[in-house]
Amino acid sequence: MPELKPILLVEDNPKDLELTLAALEQSQLANEVVVVRDGEEALDFLSRRGSHQNRNTSDPAVVLLDIKLPKIDGLEVLEKVKADPHLRRTPVVMLTSSREESDLIRSYELGVNAFVVKPVGFREFFDAIQDLGVFWAILNELPPRRDDR
Amino acid sequence: MNSQMPQEIDLTACEREPIHIPGSIQPHGVLFAMSRADKMITHASANAVSVFGIDPVSILGKTFREALPEVAAQLDGDVAEQTPLGTARYVRAIVLKTSMGETAFDAVLSRSGSHVIIELEAVPEDTVSSLDVLYPALRRFVEELHGASTIGRLCQVAAEDVRRMTGFDRVLIYRFDEHWNGTVIAEDRNEALPSYLDLRFPASDIPAQARELYRRNRLRIIPDANYTPVPIQSHDPAPLDLSDSVLRSVSPVHLEYMRNMGTPASMSISILRDGALWGLISCHNSEPKRVSLPARNACDFLTQIFSLQLEARENTTLAENRVRLGAIQARLLAYMAGESLFVDGLVNHPADLMLLAGAQGVAIVTDEHCWCLGETPGEDEVKALYAWLSEHHQEDIFATDRLGELLPEAKAYADKASGLLSISISKMRSSYILWFRPEMVQTVKWGGNPEKPVQEEAGTSRLHPRRSFEIWKETVRGRSLRWDQSEIEAVKELRNAIVGIVLRRAEELAALAEELRRSNKELEAFSYSVSHDLRAPFRHIVGYSELLKKQEWSSLSERGKRYIDTIIESAYTAGTLVDNLLRFSQMGRTALKPRSVKVSELVEEIRGKLTEHAGGRRIEWFIGDLPTIVADPVLIRLVFENLLDNAVKYSRTRDTSRIEVGSYRDNGDIVFFVRDNGVGFDMKYVDKLFGVFQRLHRIEDFEGTGIGLANVRRIVERHGGRSWAEGQPDKGATFSIALPESEGAA
Repeated sequence: MPELKPILLVEDNPKDLELTLAALEQSQLANEVVVVRDGEEALDFLSRRGSHQNRNTSDPAVVLLDIKLPKIDGLEVLEKVKADPHLRRTPVVMLTSSREESDLIRSYELGVNAFVVKPVGFREFFDAIQDLGVFWAILNELPPRRDDR
Repeated sequence: MNSQMPQEIDLTACEREPIHIPGSIQPHGVLFAMSRADKMITHASANAVSVFGIDPVSILGKTFREALPEVAAQLDGDVAEQTPLGTARYVRAIVLKTSMGETAFDAVLSRSGSHVIIELEAVPEDTVSSLDVLYPALRRFVEELHGASTIGRLCQVAAEDVRRMTGFDRVLIYRFDEHWNGTVIAEDRNEALPSYLDLRFPASDIPAQARELYRRNRLRIIPDANYTPVPIQSHDPAPLDLSDSVLRSVSPVHLEYMRNMGTPASMSISILRDGALWGLISCHNSEPKRVSLPARNACDFLTQIFSLQLEARENTTLAENRVRLGAIQARLLAYMAGESLFVDGLVNHPADLMLLAGAQGVAIVTDEHCWCLGETPGEDEVKALYAWLSEHHQEDIFATDRLGELLPEAKAYADKASGLLSISISKMRSSYILWFRPEMVQTVKWGGNPEKPVQEEAGTSRLHPRRSFEIWKETVRGRSLRWDQSEIEAVKELRNAIVGIVLRRAEELAALAEELRRSNKELEAFSYSVSHDLRAPFRHIVGYSELLKKQEWSSLSERGKRYIDTIIESAYTAGTLVDNLLRFSQMGRTALKPRSVKVSELVEEIRGKLTEHAGGRRIEWFIGDLPTIVADPVLIRLVFENLLDNAVKYSRTRDTSRIEVGSYRDNGDIVFFVRDNGVGFDMKYVDKLFGVFQRLHRIEDFEGTGIGLANVRRIVERHGGRSWAEGQPDKGATFSIALPESEGAA
């Protein structure tokens, strides 16, 4: 069994953070969940810079990325990740409160691996988070090529 | 009309006829000519014998004094004085011994090349010649002129006074148009001769060389058309130019014309403006008639005053016209400004629009519409004309008084539109305003009795004004009155005004579009913020309540449990509402992305999902043939989801739900309908069905946010279609949408 890679959760809203963590917890994933609170820190973590310069965790199995973030917003983080040859294979899932089509289109243009609008219903939210975790973390396979993006 | 020529006689011959060197004179006077250099007599008229008993041939080569001592004694000084070229100078009355005893003659001097011409006209008896009589007549004329405010009135006064001074039976004011056709514009007469008022004459009636002669020598008289010409005797082989002579013999053709008109005596005076021939004062008598030289001179003088007045009056008329047209234009502008579409301002006031150009009909044509107002060709003909203009005449202004010559099809409606004046308003959208004038012939009414003389004078009618009228009609066939400069200017200004209005409208529209873009942008920002910030709290409420419920369920009282469930349900509903609202607002903003949509597959898919969620309900589906359409797949899916979901929802009270989905073609539309056997609705609330947040049922009976059908309507309308519903309480409902086949069908 390969080493379990962590899940990187980028979320600034403490309530959403708590609820997402609760959902992940319920899905009983074995993966560690690393939480960062803004876009800059997310990039630091991914690139092993700043306070994450000496982290000994492996690179994340999946990044769950909120769109509205302080400092550097989710779309920009996504753009940097997908533009970085070392990082671009890291799966990124946009987790957003917004139904805005422009965000969705922009995300796919930047090469997002999935785009999830956080459902209002908690059960649906849990289902979505669990599905994502199971798909990206436990299966831990390279992302399939998306032909339709 | 001294030289009207009939058509039958070879006109080119007529035009070549050297009428200034006839070699003869009329018999009411005697002519002598001498060389200016040596005063030797070179020409003498043959009637010198009968009048003075002088053999004309015998005096040729003798000096003036030798040959005509009596005349020379009285006129020598005047002859020595240089008579300028181009005028006949009336000198004075002289008394000479003749075969009849002592007789008074009016002596006239003129120049002809190197010759001086002396003409002696016996003073007619019983005629007005005294200045005492003529002076008051002239003064009265000048006084009357002040009261004549229009050109028509001015001409009338001139006709009356010339007739009063000369005693002719009929005096006409005859005006040339730009092609030298003539019109009788004023007349004064007694009952001896018929009215010629409004009669038209072709240009060929007064050929070019005759007009030149009239311009040069302002007054001609023929006392008796039945005269026998008197030859001029001379040793000089070169003919004597009689252009300035007062006795010049006229063309035999002209004399025949006069005889046929029943006017043996005639006199005509040229009306000159800026040295050009404007018209004639033409006098006729039913009997031979002499007019003394002083009276003729007075008439000439009167005519010159008249010409000056004419010029002033024409300028005034022009200015008045400009003011009048300006007023019409101002009204049209106000009409246009009062309407949201400038065209409406014009269409609703056709009278002013026609008046502006002096037209009998007007059409406003755009690539979409055609308004025909007043006397116009048929709508199809106007549209064909519009197509022709669009292709050949995109210039701002186009004017013709003979459309049929440019566009042969137009001959068919010459009675409505021989004249066309048009302005092109927009080249891009190809809009024109067209003014029409009928063929001139259709508008002319001759006040006289044109039929009678023809019958009376059968056989000679070819030389008659009636025939002239016919020839004139032929020459102007297919022509309208010319569009004059003031009318062309007026429509040009109208065009500028319209273009200005159109431009201003376009600017306003652009500003409005900019405003819309801005507010759309704001709306977008607003909804973006709503989707993030308003939605999140509901999600949090639901999430935390669920966590609470999960973790603390056992320690909650029954009431507490109910509270938690209510909180979850309410927050969930509120969150869903936000979602739906956002979707509704997005639907109005985002661009359609039409693709081919197989409605049968779409409906089947939705049906499957609905059946799955309907639990154990019995639903009978009847799905007819559903065509493939072109539409935005995401949006059209929403439409069918809503319609089918509603059908399932509102029929759930039935033991067996029956839901029918079908389609049919109707008048270029594809209509889809969804029919159920559910609770239906009262038709008096049908208008509320499609409104946002409009519900016809209590929330406890049927859940929902009240936005589904509003979405349906909005989506269908964005596809250029319609939506409607029919139902009865408790008898089911049918919802239909119609999508235009051209856009909506594959």
